[in-house]
Amino acid sequence: MSNEQRIRAFLFYSSVVIFCAGLPLLLSFAFGYKFDRRTFKFSRTGLFYLKTQPPGADVYLDKILLDGKTPLTLNELLPGNYEVRVELHGYYPWSEDVTIEESKITRLDKVILFPIRNNLKKINKSSVAYFYLDRERDAVYYLDGPERILYRCGLEGERRVPMAKLPALQSQKVKYVFSVDRNKLLYFSSSQIGVVYLQQRREPSPERSPFILDYPQSDIRDVFWHSDSFHLVIVTSRSVEVMEATPRSFPIVLAKLNRRDVQAYYDTGGDTLWFLDQEKTPEGETHGNLYKLELDSRTSPLYELIKIKNEE
Amino acid sequence: MKNKKNRIKRSLEIIPGVLSWGIILLLVLLSAWKPVLCAAVIITFDFYWIIRTLYLTTLLIMAHHKLYRQRHRDWLADCRAAGNGRDWERIYQLVVFPVYKEGLDILRPSLASLKECSYPKERMVVVVSFEERHLLSRETAATLEAEFKDCFGGYISTSHPDNLPNEARTKGANATWAAKKGKEFISARNIPYDDVIISCFDADTCVDPGYFGCLTYHFITNPRPHQASYQPIPVYNNNIWHAPSFARLVEISASFCQMIESMRVEKFVTFSSHSMSFKTLVKIDYWPLNMVSDDSVVYWRAFLFYNGHYRVVPLYITVSMDAAYGDSLWKTVRMQYMQKRRWAWGIENFPFLVTGFMNNRFISLPQKIRKSFQLLESHITWAVWAIIITLIAPLPILLGGSFFIQMPISYNLPRIAGILLNCTLASSLVWILLSRIILPPRPKGVKWIKNVVMIVEWVIVPLIILILGSVPALDAQTRLMFGKYMEFYATEKKRRRSA
Repeated sequence: MSNEQRIRAFLFYSSVVIFCAGLPLLLSFAFGYKFDRRTFKFSRTGLFYLKTQPPGADVYLDKILLDGKTPLTLNELLPGNYEVRVELHGYYPWSEDVTIEESKITRLDKVILFPIRNNLKKINKSSVAYFYLDRERDAVYYLDGPERILYRCGLEGERRVPMAKLPALQSQKVKYVFSVDRNKLLYFSSSQIGVVYLQQRREPSPERSPFILDYPQSDIRDVFWHSDSFHLVIVTSRSVEVMEATPRSFPIVLAKLNRRDVQAYYDTGGDTLWFLDQEKTPEGETHGNLYKLELDSRTSPLYELIKIKNEE
Repeated sequence: MKNKKNRIKRSLEIIPGVLSWGIILLLVLLSAWKPVLCAAVIITFDFYWIIRTLYLTTLLIMAHHKLYRQRHRDWLADCRAAGNGRDWERIYQLVVFPVYKEGLDILRPSLASLKECSYPKERMVVVVSFEERHLLSRETAATLEAEFKDCFGGYISTSHPDNLPNEARTKGANATWAAKKGKEFISARNIPYDDVIISCFDADTCVDPGYFGCLTYHFITNPRPHQASYQPIPVYNNNIWHAPSFARLVEISASFCQMIESMRVEKFVTFSSHSMSFKTLVKIDYWPLNMVSDDSVVYWRAFLFYNGHYRVVPLYITVSMDAAYGDSLWKTVRMQYMQKRRWAWGIENFPFLVTGFMNNRFISLPQKIRKSFQLLESHITWAVWAIIITLIAPLPILLGGSFFIQMPISYNLPRIAGILLNCTLASSLVWILLSRIILPPRPKGVKWIKNVVMIVEWVIVPLIILILGSVPALDAQTRLMFGKYMEFYATEKKRRRSA
């Protein structure tokens, strides 16, 4: 046997020995076994994974500070209960009792650390009665209460612009609804509906002036914008009506209602009004019904009706 | 009887493909059904692979050391010393070049390298055999004949006729034609076949000046010179500086694999350009006429002929060939893929060998089993290793479900795989270093920055592994499994001259 063959044989058999000896150790590590040097036995362990937002926090396990910061994985933890505490400067500490099970991973990957000093910022300058956050345009709309002026500003309160002055309604209990195109604001109480245009043209137009509709006879339950941002769907205690959002438009009654406290939901995506009403059976009993009223121009003669009514 | 033989041959052709696909599909199914078991298998395979890589890298270092140590050796002086100045002087070198479409730019340097050899030219006979079906080769043949006719003891330029009986369009058929022409020449001069060593070179093979001295030395010092093939180390240095990174890395890796194989003599098989006793070649009826992997089949033929008493002697001297590349990256990848698939078609040796063993009563059963297993194992491993490491390894995590995600092994699998593969990368550093040493000097006109590129380019090795690691071998085995036999695909060679 030459020297070269001897070296090769040595390398080959060394590789075989390393493989045979290393593989059980590697697999036992992979399966979560830990060799206990005191008892000379393998014991099953569990694995603990901790991830925080923000990362980089110190981790204490049973009050002992561990090496490393979050996200952190602890291999070969003996099964049992542990007290885990997470600390990060400038944030509230987080702690929990964690149970480690053998041959399992215990994951805590949704730990959020909240800052001690909240980043609280005042956006408005005077009293605010209503606000609306428009994420699409990264804008905030808010209504200055005493002056009744609607402002628009950036998400940090910057670039504040007055959008419209809202005529006052008689009632203090008012709901506000933006049109789908965010160019109009609808606000209503139980007896009045107001509409303001937010983008004024240079030349004043009576069609785009703010207006208020009075409903002295019936109690307004809810008002919705149609997806075209031009029609209003009004639900009163007596009927469901529709009208254009212009001062000289007339409402059309689409359905008469029997129930005074009608519940309604308007699906802008499908332009459908869902409402709960009741009817009397021939036997004289009241029967609750859920109705679906389609107001989509493709499926309903709504526009034709409005046109005819306006022509009249 | 013939039907039975055919059935056995077909069954043997199906085995490699079934095993490779079986391993892959089994692991895919296990990753979904038994992800824990699959992960354990993957970790075991990864560990086996890293141990194997480190072991083979050590062999590569040893082979490289031998190559480096012997590069300036005066082989002819050793021949004189070994044979008392007599033996080596009777040895004739018959060199055959089976040529397909290669032109003057490829063939001229190959013949010039023979001319530059230190071996006495009067004892060298060169046969350049062109394919008759390639009409343009006639002009090339005439030009080369005019240039080299008087440089050697004999120069034969011949055309291998197309469509000879029992022949396929393979390199082996052309090489056999060339060898028979050489035999006519040798017989006419009454040179004993015992004293002739035949070398079958690819058309682009440029030999080291000391090649025939080295070959002769090993031949005359071998106690059984006729029961051995002689295999030099193929390097792809002819155009290595001009080849694109992708082709260069693949070819360097191929050279390294040959160097590693040269250290594992019990598994060593002839590959590409090689030499052997002419007497043996005649006895075994030359190269196969209808098989693609003629270079390895000729070894197995001799192995069976000598009842297992035949081996390959590694020659630690280089023969330089061309790296295969095309005009675009896509063409380069395609050419490399086709070349590797042709190499992987060596799996056709398996049915050939096993049927040969079945008809041989003199080779012991353990040796038959060992050799068959070695051949099968090497091809199966080739066809699955890269797929297991790159594509199947993540599957248990992807398909294992919520139960598996809760197991420590699901967390440890990617970590262990990462650590083990980083060890493989460490061995790549050795490969990078050695690749620098076997490179020829930078030609004029190639900028120095190329030195940097040739180190940085190793980062694309994982991509190469993914494309060329296993897929060509799996492709070849699948074709063999379905009986879609391959024809010889001659790799187009391209050489750019330095300014």
